Amino acid sequence: MPMQIGEKEFKQRVTKGLDDNFMRGAVRSAQGRLQNNRASAADELGDWEDWRTLGKEIRQHTIEHLDYYLHQLSEKVAELGGNVFFAETAEEANEYVKNVVKSKNAKKIAKSKSMVTEEISMNEALEELGCDVVETDLGEYILQMDDHDPPSHIVAPALHKNKEQIRDVFRDKLGYEKTEKPEELALFAREKLREEFLSAEVGITGCNFAVAESGSFALVTNEGNARMVTTLPETQITVMGMERIVPGWEELDIVVSLLTRAAVGQKLTSYITALTGPKQSEEGDGPEEFHLVIVDNGRSKILGTEFQEALHCIRCAACINVCPVYRHVGGHAYGSIYPGPIGAVLSPLLSDYDEYKDLPYASSLCGACTEVCPVKIPLHEQLIAHRRNIIEEDKKGSLAEKVAMKGFGQMAGSANLYQMATKMAPILSTPFSSKNQIRKGLGPLKHWTESRDFPKPANESFRSWFKQRNKRGVQHDVRKH
Amino acid sequence: MTLGNIENRERFLSNIRDKIGGLSADKPVQKPNWSTQPQYRVLKDQNQDQLIKVLKDQCKHIHTDFYHTDEQHLDETLNEIFEEYGVRSIVYTCDSRFQDHKVDTSLKQSGLDTWEWDDNEKEASIQFSEKADVGITFSDITLAESGTVVLFNGQGKGRSVSLLPQNYIAIIPKSTIVKRMTQATEKIHKQVENGEDISSCINFITGPSNSADIEMNLIVGVHGPIRAAYVVVDDI
Amino acid sequence: MKVSLFITCLGDVFYVNAGKSAVELLEHLGCEVDFPETQTCCGQPAYNSGYHRETKEVAKHMIEVMEDADYVVGISGSCVYMIHEYMHLFEEDSKWRDRAIALKEKSYELTQFIVDVLNIEDVGASYQAIATYHTSCHMTRLLGVQEAPFKLLEKVKGLELVDLPNRQDCCGFGGTFAVKMSNISEQMVDEKVDHIEETKANLLLGADGSCLMNIGGRISRRDKQVEVKHIAEILNSRGDR
Repeated sequence: MPMQIGEKEFKQRVTKGLDDNFMRGAVRSAQGRLQNNRASAADELGDWEDWRTLGKEIRQHTIEHLDYYLHQLSEKVAELGGNVFFAETAEEANEYVKNVVKSKNAKKIAKSKSMVTEEISMNEALEELGCDVVETDLGEYILQMDDHDPPSHIVAPALHKNKEQIRDVFRDKLGYEKTEKPEELALFAREKLREEFLSAEVGITGCNFAVAESGSFALVTNEGNARMVTTLPETQITVMGMERIVPGWEELDIVVSLLTRAAVGQKLTSYITALTGPKQSEEGDGPEEFHLVIVDNGRSKILGTEFQEALHCIRCAACINVCPVYRHVGGHAYGSIYPGPIGAVLSPLLSDYDEYKDLPYASSLCGACTEVCPVKIPLHEQLIAHRRNIIEEDKKGSLAEKVAMKGFGQMAGSANLYQMATKMAPILSTPFSSKNQIRKGLGPLKHWTESRDFPKPANESFRSWFKQRNKRGVQHDVRKH
Repeated sequence: MTLGNIENRERFLSNIRDKIGGLSADKPVQKPNWSTQPQYRVLKDQNQDQLIKVLKDQCKHIHTDFYHTDEQHLDETLNEIFEEYGVRSIVYTCDSRFQDHKVDTSLKQSGLDTWEWDDNEKEASIQFSEKADVGITFSDITLAESGTVVLFNGQGKGRSVSLLPQNYIAIIPKSTIVKRMTQATEKIHKQVENGEDISSCINFITGPSNSADIEMNLIVGVHGPIRAAYVVVDDI
Repeated sequence: MKVSLFITCLGDVFYVNAGKSAVELLEHLGCEVDFPETQTCCGQPAYNSGYHRETKEVAKHMIEVMEDADYVVGISGSCVYMIHEYMHLFEEDSKWRDRAIALKEKSYELTQFIVDVLNIEDVGASYQAIATYHTSCHMTRLLGVQEAPFKLLEKVKGLELVDLPNRQDCCGFGGTFAVKMSNISEQMVDEKVDHIEETKANLLLGADGSCLMNIGGRISRRDKQVEVKHIAEILNSRGDR
């Protein structure tokens, strides 16, 4: 699977993440900052919940009528002279883009950040043609220079790296000679990338939101690289996941306002660039030719299922920025270019449970993700739904767990068995406990007691205390109100 | 204009239609009445002068220098900024407002190296912009809440002018100031509804370019301008 | 007012004092407390693990057990939330769904019940300690009980309540998560214990036995001198007794 990254085994990836103190330090401080920024931007509006409600309604309506809006979009783009290709698979999308690049005889391609092109491995496909593909988002550029280290975050792809590591990458790969100061690193990248922008023949962008009513594309950035990519090269290709669309400009206002606040706590990012068709004949700069590639790649499998809301996602990463599991294991542990809670929901849907059956369990179900989602996707509930599918539909639960849960169902569903179990608890655990704590547990408790003590059951359960108390006829200290 | 191609659409959309039980794509879909519209409550009842104050305050958050002047003193203010930024070369858009408010005359008389964007001299215009110390444009709509200038690029108004130079100056006629993005998108939506062409590249610019990709530290000035100044001009 | 106590598994077997305190406290506040003896686990361990068929059986049992209660008051926010979730198990069975909704509407977490139903904030408790309070995720975010525990604790005489840094962070329990992903869970609970230490409190309070068991287990393993108690124990402490 192209969106798959890192080692095969989830457990190995988690261990690697937990052992990476550099990464964990970087992620912890980034999360802290992003959480604060988001919270104050939301508070400032005063009626954040209304904004979320509206965002949800817009996304829901759009996805429920996705066929209509994609049709409208493609009509408008074609009217403006742009070409539209509907790609059901990654291969179809890459093939089309390769053909455009070949027909232009292009050697250098400048790209602005796009998760969907990562998802379909477009860079690799273009490199097969012998093209030089340059990532121009600062974070993506750092990763590309570092032998294509995969992104660990959907908004800040190089979040897992600290400035010393970035300095070393620039030094080893590009002959950088200055310090690890972020300003110096960024200035160096600015100069390097200027040359690339000016010489690129094709520019490739992703798409934050397409606007159906006018055939426009909004790109939300801070650095200005997406503007470069759509100003200087002669040919522009925009690649969009098929769900990244809104009906009109009035809805664009809402989703962009939600995105910039939820992602980085800004009222608007430095640049929201709305492109409509290729440049007009009388204009100087801007692309002569425009191609739109609309990608399905597994998305339509999600439509009409209980997971449809996952397609409402506007890729703000707010859920990633509050997730405590993400904080400790980092993005690479998810084994998908879509990490964190939304990644744990989306990756098994776009791919399958064979590839990603561990991800729905990589959550304590604390609900922090659901609470911050600007379009109200019930993320933790979707994780539970995945777990249910894995157990009930895919039958992928372990045998031991299945037996235990069956037993649990019978026990907890029956008063007698349950009472017997509560009576047995102190007797069964006595041999393993010291004082009031159990330090070495058996069975599933073994994992618990690797890092925590487990309380010893009380000698008298609550229910027998209550029974005795009633027998003794305790005077109830009832205060009359 | 030649129509573009559309490939592979029917199979793709009918697959979607099967899943969501959609209607025929030709039948217009009505947008529902949204249950809430909080965007209209932002800065409600604020007048133009209050909005200038909001814009000014927001400039502090977006690392943008704010100036407020009138038409008579516009050239003075611009010269002040040129000095502050160490400007020797200037590119500006081919926009009648530069003539209307006599900005072009004062730029040409400034003794600095100036270039008015020329669509017919695309390469030379890009090359000049790329080396220029400052790019100047007029704002078409200005959003007080976010501190954003909206540029309808098009004939004479090259995309490069506000992008390639080291610094950027936006001249903001007071009358262009609105509350927030809502008022701008509403206007564009109306143009679309009336069947008018909209600009091929609409830029919502909020301060200088920046990045937080290195340890989430904000670095001002990455690919686009490193410094930005807004000049609000009364009476125009 | 008649209240049926929902004791929860941990309350029945491990945190017996929390249950005893809740009974005495509710009686002190004028309620008549009964304990439906046939009650069992709420089913959350199976539900969150994806075993929804098994959960349904448990839910039906609990709905039947609690059907006659005027109010059901639980000593764990998370387990009470599970009861509120029952209705979603019966999307296609309107009869059971209606019964689940009826149960939801009369089920409360202890502090929520005292503040919202009894309309009491000062329960007349006194307790000498420097304490910090762990806001558990399910109770705060999903059940939506945010203020009640603080309103009650603020009125406890002698109790100095210190704010817990990053209190919105999960303690890493997450039911089977703590066992299935024990290494990640360990990092989360360690972070929580570090924050508790920062407060210099000598008492950790909470309204969820599961979180307290998790945090308490780590505190004990790291040999920290912080006592762990359920909020009911403090609210039932009175100088005159």
